[in-house]
Amino acid sequence: MKRIGVFLCWCGSNIGGVVDVPKVAEVVRTFPGVAFVQENKYTCSEPGQVAMVQAIKEHKIDAVVVASCSPRMHLPTFQKAVETAGLNPYMVEMANLREHCAWVHIGEPENATQKAMELVRKAVAKVAKLEPLFESYIPVTKRALVVGGGIAGIQTALDIADSGHQVVIVEKEATIGGRMAQLDKTFPTLDCGA
Amino acid sequence: MSVNEKDSSNWQPTILGFACNWCSYAGADVCGVSRFQHPSTMRVVRVPCSGRVKPEFVLRAFQRGIDGVLVGG
Amino acid sequence: MVAAAQHPNITLYTYSQVESVGGYIGNFEVTIKKKAKYVDYTKCTGCGLCETKCAKKKVPSEFDAFMGPRTAIYKPFAQAVPNKPVIDNKACKKLLENKCGVCEKVCPAGAINFEDQDELITEKFGAIVMATGFDLIDWGKAYGEYGGGTIPDVIDGLQFERLVNAGGPTGGKIKRPSDHEIPQTVVFIKCVGSRDVLKAKSYCSRACCMYTAKHAHQVIEKIKGSDVYVFYMDARTPGKMYDEFYMRTREVDGAKYIRGQVSKIFQDGNKLIVRGEDTLVGQSVEVTADMVVVETAMVPRADAIHLAQTVGFSYDKDGWFTEAHPKLRPVETNTGGVFLSGCCQGPKDVPDSVAQASAAAVKVVAMFSKDQMATNPQIASCNEATCVGCLLCKPVCPYKAIEGKEITERVHGENVTRTVASVNSGLCQGCGACTAECRSGSMNLKGFTNLQLLAEVDAACL
Repeated sequence: MKRIGVFLCWCGSNIGGVVDVPKVAEVVRTFPGVAFVQENKYTCSEPGQVAMVQAIKEHKIDAVVVASCSPRMHLPTFQKAVETAGLNPYMVEMANLREHCAWVHIGEPENATQKAMELVRKAVAKVAKLEPLFESYIPVTKRALVVGGGIAGIQTALDIADSGHQVVIVEKEATIGGRMAQLDKTFPTLDCGA
Repeated sequence: MSVNEKDSSNWQPTILGFACNWCSYAGADVCGVSRFQHPSTMRVVRVPCSGRVKPEFVLRAFQRGIDGVLVGG
Repeated sequence: MVAAAQHPNITLYTYSQVESVGGYIGNFEVTIKKKAKYVDYTKCTGCGLCETKCAKKKVPSEFDAFMGPRTAIYKPFAQAVPNKPVIDNKACKKLLENKCGVCEKVCPAGAINFEDQDELITEKFGAIVMATGFDLIDWGKAYGEYGGGTIPDVIDGLQFERLVNAGGPTGGKIKRPSDHEIPQTVVFIKCVGSRDVLKAKSYCSRACCMYTAKHAHQVIEKIKGSDVYVFYMDARTPGKMYDEFYMRTREVDGAKYIRGQVSKIFQDGNKLIVRGEDTLVGQSVEVTADMVVVETAMVPRADAIHLAQTVGFSYDKDGWFTEAHPKLRPVETNTGGVFLSGCCQGPKDVPDSVAQASAAAVKVVAMFSKDQMATNPQIASCNEATCVGCLLCKPVCPYKAIEGKEITERVHGENVTRTVASVNSGLCQGCGACTAECRSGSMNLKGFTNLQLLAEVDAACL
């Protein structure tokens, strides 16, 4: 069975002001597989991440639940952190206690605390089934297509070409230049368009 | 909780939501950011796309006694 | 322009368009249609003799915003790059009626080829940068009160640019279209089509405040003793030396700025009557003008949405291409390997377009700095042992990532060949539609497996 570490974040008062985090911690300890629970003011901060990395090493944790904000926000952050601690970056799951709980149940701390426990339980259940994943690599064709030969397309093409790569500009008109070539002087310096 | 319980005046259905990471999960995040308050009996499972939701997941949820399932995508 | 044409690493396909896009980040396969030019560019020297002899001389020039004529065989303008003509197959007498053909006779290089056909070519690319720019809104439809485009001396900003441009139809003399007289009183109207929720676009087109100030300055500079009025809602001039330029136009050049909108323009003899409101003094005003310039909203190119669908990335309600994140990923799309440059993402002025263009280039160069790129491992995988090869998963895959594959196994000492599903890890985007379709439970999505999600469901329903 995996040794699961749960990191509960206060997010200052964002989560801690509504959810009774110490109480959640107490209950989470009893979930099957949970070997370690830690609270943090800001888990995403430098000290928060350092504490997490240390705990993973010290307590021989092999899968992690971070109960904080949305994974759309900080999942990459914590994937990097667990990787630093020597785990596979896909051995982490987040419980969204902020956007999906504390912020939307401001007036009902008891219900929010109850829901927070359930969200963590859900994440722990998933983490128990996680397996390491490994990125594969695909080759890159080092040749760029620029669609449109106005000033933006030309500038992009020149910059890419100057760095040594092949560029193709596709332009639907018979000439490149686009709108810029149609303009007379341009503001504010009144230098010419073409 | 179930509809058959005696005190149904304060009854709130427990709902399991499957939310697509790219739209409805993001929407639920925005809901949080804008502090849009709603009953605390909703749980969201994040999926990469609503197309990932196998009918078996929905059946399992009802089997386990959930009152409603919401698939957002 | 010339720098791009001469760069050894740049290939130009002019008179061409993207037909279809296949593949994925790092490995796109793009089919490009090279439209028939009817001129062999390997032979053409760009001497221009054909243009002078062409029988069709009055085709409205797109480049001159329809203010001047061009021929049927034409270069859009004198400094065009490449500096070689094409034949407009909707105007050429030879191509339409099989008459004339004079260009073929006079061409000293023998470059004219009336048999030329559209050509499709397919090439491989690692990245695609969209830089399709903008059009001006078709204001005539929405603004009947400004004449709806029927009054010849009510022109748009781009037409004014061609009038004032030394390479334009009037050689840079500001002459009004109806009688080629030099206008003494010119009225500019800002925000036509922009910031107009009811009739046109809700957004601000960003560049118009400044180019209107430039237009006003150019009229005053070129026509001595002229009167310039500018009707405006607001003056938005954030940018280096922008507000200084605007204030100079008002205070030094003496352009008269009237804060308010124009309600009606109509012809009165050879004059235009412009009725509007000065909201700062709370009075209606009437200006008798010789020419009116409507500074109209920028809109995406007419075929922008079609192109976005062809390449496969998202666009907004107005048709502007959508960036992956408005602040943090402004030049990327949500489709891997497709980037945005310039006005196709939204209205911009020249400095912003150039800055974004270079930003997009850096994203491409960063991608090209490695020989390989890591892919998201959270993709579908098929358990070949249990897959029955029904391939129901194949048609539901939006990315065409699933194919049938033959495998050979030893069963009871004999070789048996059967079909199973196989996932292309480069194409799969990890949506999991195939897993929901799979009857035998053989198709699974790494990171969101059936077991993992069922465990979540169970835990959530306790």
